[in-house]
Amino acid sequence: MEASEIQETYQVRLEIFEGPLDLLLFLIKKRKLNIHDIPIAVITRDYLDYLARKQNINLNREAEFLLMAAFLIYLKSQMLLPREQPQLEESSDPRQVLVNQLLEYQKVKITSSLLRQKEEEQQRRWLRPFNPTALSLEEEEILEVNLFDLAECFYLLMKQKENENFKILKGREVSLEKKMGEILDLLEKQPVLDFLDYLKSQESLEEALVAFFCLLELVRARLVIAFQESLFQTIKVWLRRDRLTEERG
Amino acid sequence: MSEDLKGIIEALIFVSTEPLTAERIKEVLADFPEEEVERALQELKQNYDTNNRGICLQQSAGGYLFTTRPEFDPWIRRMLQIERKSRLSQAALETLAIIAYHQPITSSEIAAIRGVDSTGTIKTLLEKKLIKIVGRRSTPGRPLVYRTTEKFLLYFGLNSLEDLPSEEEIARLLEEKDIEQTES
Repeated sequence: MEASEIQETYQVRLEIFEGPLDLLLFLIKKRKLNIHDIPIAVITRDYLDYLARKQNINLNREAEFLLMAAFLIYLKSQMLLPREQPQLEESSDPRQVLVNQLLEYQKVKITSSLLRQKEEEQQRRWLRPFNPTALSLEEEEILEVNLFDLAECFYLLMKQKENENFKILKGREVSLEKKMGEILDLLEKQPVLDFLDYLKSQESLEEALVAFFCLLELVRARLVIAFQESLFQTIKVWLRRDRLTEERG
Repeated sequence: MSEDLKGIIEALIFVSTEPLTAERIKEVLADFPEEEVERALQELKQNYDTNNRGICLQQSAGGYLFTTRPEFDPWIRRMLQIERKSRLSQAALETLAIIAYHQPITSSEIAAIRGVDSTGTIKTLLEKKLIKIVGRRSTPGRPLVYRTTEKFLLYFGLNSLEDLPSEEEIARLLEEKDIEQTES
């Protein structure tokens, strides 16, 4: 990927590596070492230097890095120990396991960069949104959205509003409670609410923001269900019927 | 006649809600000789390739579908006011690459190749429907096994898994990289 960029900056953060193998490959490359004949002592030192730079080790994320460090030290000790038979065949080289792993991972890196190219190429092709009348509701691929999708929906709206050159001196004050009631009332009148349209119908940014927080709150309180038919599309909001009777009845 | 047939096929692909396979086209057009349908399809594809149209006929995930021409992406994004589509993370791409080449594969096998735990990434890929669970392995713990989906092919514009670069191609690319390195 951005290999050249990485090499230019000496201080590279651990976070940019996908894992210990990624870091090892980077170190091997930096020293221009032969992957089939890695000087374990050298690479172990480099590797440990890297880990040492890290102030706090987050065990959740970096446990694998530590495991590899332990393995490298183990390998080093293996290489130091006198062998009983001086000439062993190649397969008994203690480094072999690591070499195989690195070679395999190198392939993964190559293929994933090829996939990245394909992804970029394909993302520049746009597909016609499939004719909705040709689909019945049951066939719709419904994904329940999470907060990020909602946030994205909101972002989309903001992008659209940006160009409208809005000038609001002072919007009317809207409370969260009032807006929440408004949304629930609307949902009782109509079965489904197109949330992007609803946000658009808001008079001001403040009101749209309040409406957005309301939706988050309603989803959290499990009063409504928010669905997105596919990625990057508007979000539809339904009332949770079961809850409604409990809460309001 | 052949002009008609081309038009019909074009219309079929246009209304199809998924990549339309050549088999399905032939099935629908069973009253025409198969060779003629095949020829019309190829001609249609050439028409789209040669004329400088905004739309291409792409062969992806085993079927035909219309997409816009990649060069026109900036204008489309300008109209839709989308700066850029979200891309998969590096972890997701690596995991997908491993699954694509080693399927069916278990979560622990993926982790062994990547050198890191991949359960979170697998979950994301499942949600995106780029991979699917195809069963369990009958080894201890009965781990789940994963495969890539049709949507995976569609996402990367691949016609089938055979479109993935072969072992030889990868080996060649690796060599090229090595040469680059020794030269630099």
